[in-house]
Amino acid sequence: MDEVENWARAAFRQAHLDVDDDDVAFVQLIYAAAIAQLHVLDQIDPDEFPVRAIDPSHAPE
Amino acid sequence: MSHPQDLSLREQASAVRRGDLDAGELLTMTLARIEERDGPINSTPVLFEASSRTMLADAPRGPLHGVPITMKDMFALPWRAARNGTPSELIPAAASGPFRRLRDAGAVVVGVANQHELGMGTTGSISAYGPTGNPWNPDHCAGGSSGGSAAGVSARLVAGSLGSDSGGSARLPAAYCGVVGLKLTYGSLPYDRYFGAGTSFSAPGVVARDGADARLLAETLLDRPLARHSGAELRVGVVRDPFWSDVDLEVASAADSALRDAGWTVVELQIEHLELVGAAVLCRLIAETGIPPSSVLATLSRPTRGLLLASLLAPARLVPRADRVRAAVRRSLAEAFTSVDLLAWPCAPTPAPALADPWVSLPSGRTLADTANLRQASIANLCGVPGVSLPVGLHSSGLPLGLQLLAPWGAEASLLDAGEHLELVTERAYVELTPPIARIG
Repeated sequence: MDEVENWARAAFRQAHLDVDDDDVAFVQLIYAAAIAQLHVLDQIDPDEFPVRAIDPSHAPE
Repeated sequence: MSHPQDLSLREQASAVRRGDLDAGELLTMTLARIEERDGPINSTPVLFEASSRTMLADAPRGPLHGVPITMKDMFALPWRAARNGTPSELIPAAASGPFRRLRDAGAVVVGVANQHELGMGTTGSISAYGPTGNPWNPDHCAGGSSGGSAAGVSARLVAGSLGSDSGGSARLPAAYCGVVGLKLTYGSLPYDRYFGAGTSFSAPGVVARDGADARLLAETLLDRPLARHSGAELRVGVVRDPFWSDVDLEVASAADSALRDAGWTVVELQIEHLELVGAAVLCRLIAETGIPPSSVLATLSRPTRGLLLASLLAPARLVPRADRVRAAVRRSLAEAFTSVDLLAWPCAPTPAPALADPWVSLPSGRTLADTANLRQASIANLCGVPGVSLPVGLHSSGLPLGLQLLAPWGAEASLLDAGEHLELVTERAYVELTPPIARIG
């Protein structure tokens, strides 16, 4: 059992979600293809990306 | 006389208003056409025989009086719960905000437009109602998530449909099916009892056959006029990489030809932080989607279940970082709009893939159509701006292609001015293209 599978099964147990092996296999695929890519956000420089209010209905002030 | 659904939306409204077309007869003929023609594409799986007649009887004499339309399964109706492409009643029956705007204009909702399950896909290949086929080739995707809206309008079942757009869901199916798909500015109309109310990405989207029909529907939804101006003198910004460089060559060529035909001033520009858009979109969408109750989860397809379950593995600590990126990209986009009126690039990066194999081949390699489609479309949702897909001809495979334009917040009229100008200079060559299924009868 690899690290992602372990993690996924533990997360689903904690959330009381009934899943089967096929669900876990899909989740592993999606993790590798998409979720793992989110870590690029860890690398941003907070000084270059300051916190600002976001209202998607209007242009930024 | 030809079938009234071969008329445009505005021609139907005008004919009813003048008394040249009986609204009851229009409704009867529309329901019959859907019954006869929709089988291979499955765009409109639920018809409202009785409720639509009641709606017509009560319809006010507004700008859409007596005009049949369909609505995506994301909007609750007074007589039907919204199911969002699942078997479950997820928002109880009630008059949703967008429905009220259409009802008050006199429109008649004749059926539910099919959609990708939970709106979580851009192909329309998965739905509780079955997949939606493309009117140009029913073995190919109609797109998603508003695939039923685009397929039904393309097949001349109705002249207008209300979809929605959380990551390209109105624009991408429009590109696949050869119609106009307009994403409205985020939050520009009442969202109550609409699935978009739970996100900061989603906006209702208008699907119609041409710019003038899209304008009429958008004015109704926004409850304000979208004044028509010439679209001849626009400055259009193009961002070459990746939006033009990593797409099917024929797609890029058709979009480029459309820009040349339009005669717009084309300016090459960059949008800062573009390389982080995909991660910011995914991170935020995951945070806003959540996991439905087990009773609903159990009814969903394996891919949708997988997407929802995988969201549990997304680190929540990244959400504030995604928001920092989102704020920066919004500023970059606003900066771009200080030098150009619109931004332009191909909408879907390829023509519609086969339903049985919703993958696409790009210069960068083979990938899921969803991945490539989101890359082209989702910056509009991240930022909240309106966008449109305009038909720009056919691929050698016989499938339609779309040019995407984005405008500043609230500038829907500029997008429609551009679309109508393109129709004018091309003598409506692209918007008059008719799929084989619509040439029967």
